[in-house]
Amino acid sequence: MTTHPGRIAVSGLTKAFGTLRAVDGLDFVVEPGSVTGFLGPNGAGKTTALRMVLGLVTPDAGSVTIGGHPYIDLPAPSDTVGAALDTTGFHPNRSGRNHLRVYCAVNGYPDQRADELLDLVDLTHAGRRPVKGYSLGMRQRLALATALLGDPDALVLDEPANGLDPSGIAWLRTLLRSMADAGKAILISSHVLWEAQQLVDDVVILQDGRLLLHGSLDELTRGYDSLERAFFALTSGGL
Amino acid sequence: MGRLLRGELRKLVTTRLWLWLLLGAVTLTALYASLNIAFTDDPENFAPHLSTPEGQRLHVATAAQPATTFAAVLAAIGITGEFRHRTATTTFLATPRRVKVVVAKLILYAAVGAAYAAACLGTTVALGIPLLASMDIDFDILGPGMPATFAGIVAAGLAFGVLGVALGALLREQVATVVGLLIYRFIAEPIVTEVPALHDWTLYLPGPATSALVGSVLENREFLDAWQGGAMLAGYACVLALAGTLLTTRRDVI
Repeated sequence: MTTHPGRIAVSGLTKAFGTLRAVDGLDFVVEPGSVTGFLGPNGAGKTTALRMVLGLVTPDAGSVTIGGHPYIDLPAPSDTVGAALDTTGFHPNRSGRNHLRVYCAVNGYPDQRADELLDLVDLTHAGRRPVKGYSLGMRQRLALATALLGDPDALVLDEPANGLDPSGIAWLRTLLRSMADAGKAILISSHVLWEAQQLVDDVVILQDGRLLLHGSLDELTRGYDSLERAFFALTSGGL
Repeated sequence: MGRLLRGELRKLVTTRLWLWLLLGAVTLTALYASLNIAFTDDPENFAPHLSTPEGQRLHVATAAQPATTFAAVLAAIGITGEFRHRTATTTFLATPRRVKVVVAKLILYAAVGAAYAAACLGTTVALGIPLLASMDIDFDILGPGMPATFAGIVAAGLAFGVLGVALGALLREQVATVVGLLIYRFIAEPIVTEVPALHDWTLYLPGPATSALVGSVLENREFLDAWQGGAMLAGYACVLALAGTLLTTRRDVI
């Protein structure tokens, strides 16, 4: 049986910055067809871990494979993994549409793909304006559009709901759900638990760089009225 | 590599910086060339007179410093901007083999540097034709050594495009790289190269090496042979490009 091209497997992932162990022996799997929430307080090591998943930061130990391959060995990375890691990753004087067209050129996608994605994330009206005039929510949508350019098998999104208004979050939930239903593996980080609760099927909870819990949202919240309560019960129990 | 080059070219042309810096280079060239013409009869001028082939080569070569400096600045911004605006993340996600990204930028900005040089060269020629004619001097555009000067200026533009990318890859900090480049080229290098006691050493710096490559002659200065100047520039470009590429592949993108 071959591995699903979007299945993300993290094993023993470790990274220290100086004496700080940002990520410490992390193991988890993101299965295709589900939305996995990567949760934890600010500074828990989520962003560092995501950057290691994507080959941007070199781990001190451990490994990550996507569809069985390390990111750097993916033959067409943008076709396999779409990632949106921060909402500031745009040239302020380049229009949103041109930003997408740059990556269409790099990845060999037809230019019309940029317009399709602007349409999908509801940014067509602002596509020809420089990004410096975009709100946080608009940047969030543009980052998501960039991630989706290659119609990838896996999505890795760092705090994708940050800056979205309630209708934006509802829209994101519908979008992520339809992508998961289409068989994509989706990993989204969040430090806002009530927000995450609306979006995810499975959770990976990180604290001080270590895995605190990996399981389904249903299991975790059984007996509690929210993910937040479950989380605090869990973390205070550990103290 | 073709797709990467197209992407890098798109990054360049979807903002206006290339145009402003080109205008800056052409304007400064026009200023240098005009001053050179205005002072050619000044007996205290170290530049050979414009009626001589050396004087006419030097006139054309006034294009070299503005063209190379502005090309290097554009190239440095082209790579440091990826870190300043955090587009490096998306860039390296699309091309995780980062060497390819740096090589694409080196190729693109080498070509852009050559184009800047050609534009500035065109400026000196376009200014020289009417102004020299008005002084009853015959401007021999294909005179002795002139084709080599043309080629040298374009080659210098190419080398400085590479140098700009390489420096940017090494330093990553945009403001420091650009300010450093400008201070070096417009202040530090002109000052140290004027110190007679240091001439044996300053001969090998990028600026004087460029002057040598473009066939400059000054009565108070010595330069390397043109090929030696070219070899020095190529050496700087290769060593820095190699170091910048290696560092880019190794450093974490946070």
